[in-house]
Amino acid sequence: MRNSLKRRGVLRCTAAIGLALGLGGVAATAQAEGDPVRAIELHSRTQAANPQQYQAAELIAQIWGDLGLDVSVNALPNTQLSDVVWYNRDTWDVTMWQMVGRPERSDPDEFVYNLFHSSTAPTGYNFVGWTNDEYDKIAEEQRLVIDPDKRLELITKAQELVNENQPYAFLVYPTKVFAFDKTVFDETTVTEQPGLGIKNFHTFTDITPLGEQTDLIMNSSNELNALNPFYISGASDSWMTELIWDRMMRIGSDGLPKPWAAETVEWNDDGTVLTMTLRDGMTWHDGEPVTVEDVVFSFTAPQQDMVAPMYQPFVSGITSIETPDDKTVVMTLDKPNAAFETSTLSKLNLVPKHVWGPIIDGLAEGESAESVLEETRIGSGPFKFDRWATQQEVVLDANPDHWAAPKIDRLILRVVLNVEAALGMLRSGEMNFMSDYTGDPQLLIEAADADGDLAVVESVDIGFQYVAFNARRAPFDDPAFRKALSTAINRELIRKAAWNGFAQTANSHVSPALSYWHATSTDDMETGMDLAKQMLSDAGYTIVDGKLHYPDGVTDQYAD
Amino acid sequence: MKYILTRLAHMLIVLWAVGTILFFMFRLMPGTPLAAFIDNTTTAEQQQALIRQFGLDKSLGEQYWLFITNALQGDLGQSFFFKRPVTDVVMEVLPNTIILTMVSLVVAYVFGTLAGAYLAWHRGRWIEGIGIPLALTTRAAPEFWLGMVMLAVFAFGLGWFPAGGANTSGANFDSEWARIFSLDYLRHLALPAITLAVYLQGLPLLLMRSNMLEVLQEEFITMGRMKGLSNSTILLNHAARNALLPVATAFALGIGSAVGGNVVVETVFSWPGIGRLLVNAVSASDYPLAQGAFLIITFVLIIMNFIADITYHLLDPRVRFAASS
Repeated sequence: MRNSLKRRGVLRCTAAIGLALGLGGVAATAQAEGDPVRAIELHSRTQAANPQQYQAAELIAQIWGDLGLDVSVNALPNTQLSDVVWYNRDTWDVTMWQMVGRPERSDPDEFVYNLFHSSTAPTGYNFVGWTNDEYDKIAEEQRLVIDPDKRLELITKAQELVNENQPYAFLVYPTKVFAFDKTVFDETTVTEQPGLGIKNFHTFTDITPLGEQTDLIMNSSNELNALNPFYISGASDSWMTELIWDRMMRIGSDGLPKPWAAETVEWNDDGTVLTMTLRDGMTWHDGEPVTVEDVVFSFTAPQQDMVAPMYQPFVSGITSIETPDDKTVVMTLDKPNAAFETSTLSKLNLVPKHVWGPIIDGLAEGESAESVLEETRIGSGPFKFDRWATQQEVVLDANPDHWAAPKIDRLILRVVLNVEAALGMLRSGEMNFMSDYTGDPQLLIEAADADGDLAVVESVDIGFQYVAFNARRAPFDDPAFRKALSTAINRELIRKAAWNGFAQTANSHVSPALSYWHATSTDDMETGMDLAKQMLSDAGYTIVDGKLHYPDGVTDQYAD
Repeated sequence: MKYILTRLAHMLIVLWAVGTILFFMFRLMPGTPLAAFIDNTTTAEQQQALIRQFGLDKSLGEQYWLFITNALQGDLGQSFFFKRPVTDVVMEVLPNTIILTMVSLVVAYVFGTLAGAYLAWHRGRWIEGIGIPLALTTRAAPEFWLGMVMLAVFAFGLGWFPAGGANTSGANFDSEWARIFSLDYLRHLALPAITLAVYLQGLPLLLMRSNMLEVLQEEFITMGRMKGLSNSTILLNHAARNALLPVATAFALGIGSAVGGNVVVETVFSWPGIGRLLVNAVSASDYPLAQGAFLIITFVLIIMNFIADITYHLLDPRVRFAASS
C-alpha cells in the first residue's frame, strides 16, 4: 500500500512537472487518479465445451486490454465454473454465461423476474447480484397484470432499465440449426416454433411420412437423465416427457399458450379464479379414462413438501382446486399471475391418480417422487412410452386413440455424443431428423447441399450468450464502468468471428424470438472503442501509461 | 487351495483400499453435486433438501461408514443424477463394455501373437520393413482419430457398417441374450471392436516378436533343430510356448487399460458402456455412481488378474512347481 502511494505520488509529480513545462496536451488535461484497476479474470467454459463462447472471451479480453485493463481468460470445466460463479458469489469478477431456451421460457416472466429480482440474488438466478428497486417493482407488477398490452409496457420498461444499467453485456442470441430428410417427411407438415425451432411438440404430432419409413429417428447430444413426470431433469428428457404426458395447455406455434387437455380456459375479471373444462373422451395409456380427479391430483401432489420439489414453486400460488362437476376444474390463486398459463398450465404434467397416488403415499421419509422409477410410464399424451435403453435410445409409440394422433408410427431418440457421427448418420439414413446439432452450422448446410435430400432450418434462440459482471465487487458495481465495458465490445465482430454468423446480436434478456415482448428500443446499442473510452473518462476513470485507474481517491478493495 | 484362499483375502483388501481411496478422492475434488442441477429453478431450500437427500449433510466419517457397510451388503447407493440404484445403472451397460473389451482384446492378442511370431521367424526379410513400422504407427495413433477414420471409410464411405449405437434404431428383441447374439449387434460391434483392436495389437505383436527372438537364441531350439524337428514344431511347440508367457501377463493388464481406453471409443461410436457412464458421473460429481462404477471395474479387473494368474499356472510348469513347493 505504501509503495503504491509512493508511486502514485511520483506519477502525480511527473504530471505536475509536465503541466508546468507545458509538455503535451494529455498531461495538461490529466486528472488525478485512484488505484489502478486490478488484473481481471474473465471466466469461460473451455474451448472444447463451448468453442464459440471461449472464442468470444478471447476477443473480449483483447478489447478490454485496449481500455487499459489487464484481462486474462480462465477457462473452466462446466461444473467447476458453476461452483465458482453460482456457489461462491463474492469471489469472481466477470464470467461468460448463457441462458438456454425452453418451452416455458416462451413467457418473459422467468427471465424478467428471476434474473434480476433482488430476492434471487443470495442463492437464486440473480447470481450477478445486480439489484435495483425500480426494477424489483416492475418485475413484481408484471406478474399481476393480466392485460397483455399493459403488461407489455412493464416488460418493455424492464428491458430498458437493464439496457441503461448493463448488468450483463449481452452478446448474441445464437441461431440453432436443425435438419430433416425431406424425402422421408412432408416438408409442409413441419412446424417452426419461435425460439425452439422445428424440434417441438407440434412438429412431432403433425409431421407426415411420405413413404415406407414411418419412424422418426432423431438425436440427443447428451446422455438422458430421467423420464419422470414429477422431475425436471436434463434438456433432452423434456422433449420426451412432454410427448408422453399431456398438459392442460400447450405453447402454440406462435409462442403463446393455447388450451390443450382443457377445452376452455376462462379467467374471472381480476385474474384470480380460473375455470377449465376438461376435453371429452381422453384416456390414459392403460385404458382408464382421464378424470377431473386426476387433474386435481396432478396439481395438488406437487404442492406437498418433498414430493416434486422442482414443480412445487409453480403450484404454490394455487389456494384451492374444486370440481363442481365431472368436466369442470376451478382453481383459485392467491394473487393474479400473468405467467400462470405458460409456467404452470403448460408445464405441469397430467398424471393418473390411480398409478401415482399409491406411489406417493408410499414414499419413505426423505424420498421424493423424483427417484421413483415407473416401469411403464403412463400418460395420456400423443405418444406412449415403449422403452429406454440406457445411453442408447428412447422409443415412443404413436397413440392412435389420442385426439391429436401422430402421423408417424414411432419416435426414436438416439443418444449420439459424436457430432460428426450424427452428421454422417443423417446422410446415411440411420437418422432422419437432426434435433440436436452442436457442431459448426456451416458444415450441416454444406452436408445438406451435397446430399440434396436434407432440408435445413435455422431459428433464433430464446436463450442468449452474455458477459456477466459481478455487481457485488467494485468497479463492476459502477453502472458507468459496466456500460463502458459493454460499449467497447463490437457485437458484430463477436457474432461473425465467434459464432460464424449463426447468431443475432443481443441487448436484452427478452429474445426477439418472443416478438410480442421484445423491446426493439434496446436493439440499436451504439458500440465503439472511442465511445467507451469517453464514457470511462466522463465517469472519472483515467488511463495512465496504458493502465486503467479508478477515479480519484478510490482504492481497489479487491486487489491482492 | 490354500493359494486360492490367500488370493481371495488379497482381493478383498485391494477392494477395500480402492473403495476407500475412491470415496475420499471424489469428495475432495472441486465441484459440488448440486452444480448438475442448477440449471433448474432450484431455491435455497430445495438445495438444502437435495443435500439432505444425498446424505451430504452427514459428517465425512459417517458417510464413509455408511458407504462401507452398505457396500459389504452389495448396496452401492443411489445415483444422484439418475436417481436410480448404482448397481442397476452399471449392470445395464456393463455387458456391452465387457463384450467390446474382450472381443477387441482377443482379436488384438491372437493377431498380435501370430504376427509377432511370424515377424520374428522372418527376421531381416522385407516383410519386417513393412510390419514393424505399421505396428508402431497404429499403436501410436490416437484412438479418436483412428475411430473417425474408421467411421469415414467404413460407415460413411463404403456404408458397410452402421455409424453408432449397439443396435439399429428401434430394433426389437425377445430377450437380452437374443439382442447380444443378433447379427445386428455384431454389425454394430464391428467398427468399435476393430478400432480398439487396431489400437491394442501393437503391444502383443512387439512383445511376442522380441520374446521370440530371444527364445530362438536358446540352446534348446538349436537342440530341436539338431533333432531334426520340423520348423512348425519348433516354432509352435517350443519357441512360441515360452515366448507367450509375458504376453499372457500383458493380456491381463491390458484388460485394465482397455476399460480406460474405452471411454474414447464409446464416445466416438456412441457405444453404450461404462466408460461414458464414468465420464458423466465424474463431471456431474455423482459420487455414488462414480465410486460404484469404479469399484465394479476394480472388481472385474481383480477377477481377470486372478484368472490370468491361474492361466499362468497352466502355461508354465515352473510357476506351478514353485507355488506348490
